[in-house]
Order: sequence, then structure tokens, then C-alpha cells
Amino acid sequence: MAATQKLYPRATVKRVVKAHSNRSLSKNADILIFLDYMLFMQELMRESSIQSRKAGEKNISPNSVRKVTERTLRKFKG
Amino acid sequence: MATTPNPRRRSPRVSDGSEALTPVGDTTLTGLQRLPGHTRYPLTPSRFAANTPSANRRTPRNRGGAPSTPYRVQAMQRRAANTPGRDRRRSGRVQRETTFDILRNLGKALAPTTQPIRSSPQEKPSPEPEPEPERDEIEELDNEPEIERPRLSLPLDEVDEVDEEPEIRPPRLSLAFEEEDLTHTSIEYPRRATSEHDRGRLSMMSVGGPRMSEIGAATRIESESEDEDDTGIVGDDNEAGEDTVISQGDFDGGGETEDLGRFNFDFNFPTPPPPGEDLDQDEPIHDDEGFELPVDMPLDTEAGLDDASVSMAADDFDMQSPLHQPVALSESQSPGIAGGGLRDEDRYMPGTKQKKLSRHGIPVPNLPVGVVKKLATRFARARNGSKAKISKETLAAIEQASSWYFEQASEDLAAYSKHAGRKTIDESDVATLMRRQRHVNNATTIFSLAQKHLPKELLQDMRLAMPP
Repeated sequence: MAATQKLYPRATVKRVVKAHSNRSLSKNADILIFLDYMLFMQELMRESSIQSRKAGEKNISPNSVRKVTERTLRKFKG
Repeated sequence: MATTPNPRRRSPRVSDGSEALTPVGDTTLTGLQRLPGHTRYPLTPSRFAANTPSANRRTPRNRGGAPSTPYRVQAMQRRAANTPGRDRRRSGRVQRETTFDILRNLGKALAPTTQPIRSSPQEKPSPEPEPEPERDEIEELDNEPEIERPRLSLPLDEVDEVDEEPEIRPPRLSLAFEEEDLTHTSIEYPRRATSEHDRGRLSMMSVGGPRMSEIGAATRIESESEDEDDTGIVGDDNEAGEDTVISQGDFDGGGETEDLGRFNFDFNFPTPPPPGEDLDQDEPIHDDEGFELPVDMPLDTEAGLDDASVSMAADDFDMQSPLHQPVALSESQSPGIAGGGLRDEDRYMPGTKQKKLSRHGIPVPNLPVGVVKKLATRFARARNGSKAKISKETLAAIEQASSWYFEQASEDLAAYSKHAGRKTIDESDVATLMRRQRHVNNATTIFSLAQKHLPKELLQDMRLAMPP
């Protein structure tokens, strides 16, 4: 898994966080932020797949993602 | 009589020594006078000799020899002077010793260990309870008024009786009347507050989110393409006009209701062409999210299909932030800003720019779609099996969610760093965030999570950045 994965665009992540927080980032904080983002994605996909399965859909539908989004975001509220 | 166990133990020793060495006549007389009752018992003679305190005290020393040196005599005198209680104890002890020693000797003679233990409980309960109940009854009869007096004197009963009634009644009444209303509302207040707050927050994010512009573009684009196919361009004009209005509303940021209303108007227009979207729009909660997201879907689907729309999207990207050119280009692969949407461009431009800004007025780039998709498929696959497929609509929804996530997370991080008095967001802030998200606890560390998810290079960087 980890070996196959490419590096994510660190500069972009940094810029996103910087824009939202209006603060500069320390050198390697973006790695951890991206790690947290990965956890968020994992949770989001997990929840949405559960949701879609509950709805009887074959694949993950955008609706299930949307339904789950708010819940998952609240779960990731620090 | 005697309660202390010590005298019993010491008594035999003392008696032996005293007998052997120095029984003094006066002391024996005093002992006899003090203990008239003990003469009855046959075992006492040893006691008579041992009774005197002087004998007790001096016998051991006489054994070792009389005080040879004056120093020693002085020391002994001082000792005696310093501890005046000794004489008392000894004298008292002698008396007490006698009775218990008599019994003890009896016990030893009869049966050393077992009998006294057996006899005392057996004997005691049998004679004692008989007189006791009699006494108790009498005493109880005597004591009854005494017992009652304190009870009467105690105000507890009266107070309780008197106070309980008024105390109980008013609270019930007051609680019953007031709480019915209060509980219903008061319980719901926090929930409502949170939900409203969060929704407001999310809607704020959505307002600030980059999607809106694209959504608007998408709707227009779709409507354009489909209207062109079906009826005419009239619908386009209407939509475009309202879109600009919407973008202004978004710029306000605070005016969510206005946005909602306008969105509703918007929906009325695009709904006729795509029947499938109606369901999507109606199903989600009537929030901004619900509206936006469904609109998002057509963007990606049709963006790939229609050249005009693609060009439109590309234009949007160009105008908003040059960073996204590559993404847009990769998606569209047709950088032509062809005449398809000249007027649309003019109208979208301001709105899109504003939406791309964060609340601090800094342009926010998007995560490249490829990364999001890769992550999403990876986790979906882990969950759903290898054939999990993510459609573009789903991907758009995921992107929306991730942009919200980044806004939320970075605001939290900013709060943490501000609280720490720093100007930069540190690794410790992210660690705090993850701990508060319950991702990091006793069982899992950041490093274990990183090991699980991150590639090696990043892991090393992270290790360097935060030594455990």
C-alpha cells in the first residue's frame, strides 16, 4: 500500500491549510495533516459504503456520500 | 480487675526472684493488708513475698549484684525519679496480678491451654445471660422514659413531619408546571444550537467553497447544452442572470437564507432538463449542501462530455487560480476558451473568484482530483472489495467533503496554535487535533498511524520532524 502510493502534493496541502487558517505551517506539519485527511477519507468511505449498502446500492452513490459527510465531518471536529 | 496482659507475664518471674532473694516483712504485711481476699486461695503465698514494689524493683538488680559504684546508684535513683509511675504501676500490678495469676495457675494446673478457652465462653454465657435479661428488663422499663425524652427533645421527627409536607408539595407543583415546558425546550436547545451552528458552519464553508462557482457553471453549462438540444437559449439567460446574483450572495457569506432562496429558484430552472437529478436534489436535507452537491454531479459527468462546458470549466480555473490550470487542463485537454460561454464567463468570473477565497481572503487551491480519487478508491476497495468503483458524481461529493474537511481542520489547527501562542501551525497542533479526534490514544500513536498509511519518505520526514 504505502510503497505503491505516490507522494501527495505537499505544496498544495500546505497552501490549502495556510489559506484557511491564515497561519504559516511548520516544515513537516502538512504530513500529519495529510495523514489526518487520509483517516478522514477512510472514515468517509467506510461510512458511505455502509450507507450505500444499507440503501441497497451496488456502488457508492454520491447521495450516500453526501448523507454521511456531515456526520463524518462532525466526528473529525477537533 | 486487671486489664493489661503484661502483669500476668511478668508476675511469675517477679515472684520467683522475690521469694528467693528479699522478702521484707513490712512489705509483706502491706501486701497482706491490701489483699485480704486473696488469702483464701492456696496459691497466694508466692504473691505475698512478691507483692512489694520495692522487692519487685530491686530483685533483678540484686541478682546482677548490688550497685557497686556510686554512679550506678545515682543512675538508678535518677531513673526512679524520672519515672515515678513505676511504683504506682507495680503496686497496682501486684494487686491485679494476684487475682489473675490465681486463675491462671488454676488453669495451668487443670489444663494448660485448652480449658480456659473452653471454660470461659461456656461458663460465661450460661450464668450471665440469666441475670442479664432480668436486669435488662428492669433497666429497660426504667430507661424507657429516658430514651423517649431525647427522642422527644430531638426536633428531627417534628421537623421532618412538619417540613416534609410543604417541601414536597411545592417542588412537585413547581417542577411539574415549569419543567414540562422547560425540559422539552431546554433539552432540545443544545441540540438545536449545535445543529444550527454546524449547519451554519458547513453552509459557510459551502459558501466559501470552491464548488459553488463550478456548480453554477455546471448548471449553466448543462442547461446550455441541454437547452440547446431541446428548446432554446432563453433558459440560459435566466439562469445566468440568477447565477450572478447567487455569486454575489455567496460573496456576502453571511446571507445564507438569501442563497437558499436563490438556489431554490435556480433549481426550478435546471430541473426540467435532467429528470434524474430531481430525485437527488429532493432527497437530501434542504441545505446548501444538498443543493450544491447534486449540482456538482452533472459538472463532472457532462464536463467530460461537452467541449463547451469543459472549456468553461477551464476558464473558471484559469480565472480563479492559476494553480489549477494543470488539473483543469488535464480534465478538459481542450484549453480553448471558445465562444461557447463568452457571456457566461463574464458573469461567472467575479463569483468564482470570490468563492475560491477563504475567509481570510486567501485563495484556496483544490486538492488535485487524482489524489482524492486514488485515496477514495483505495479505501473503498479496502471496504467493498476490489470491484468498488467510484463514479464521477461520487468523486465530486467526496471532493466537496474533503474541502470542507480541510477548512474545518485548518481552522481547528489555527485555534490550537493560537492558543499555544504560536504563529505557525506546529506538528504538536496536529497531534492535538488527532488526539481530540480520538485517532491517537493509548493504543495507537501517530507513528503507528503513519506507518499504516504514509509512504516511507513521508514517514521519515515525519520522524525527523517530531521525535517521539
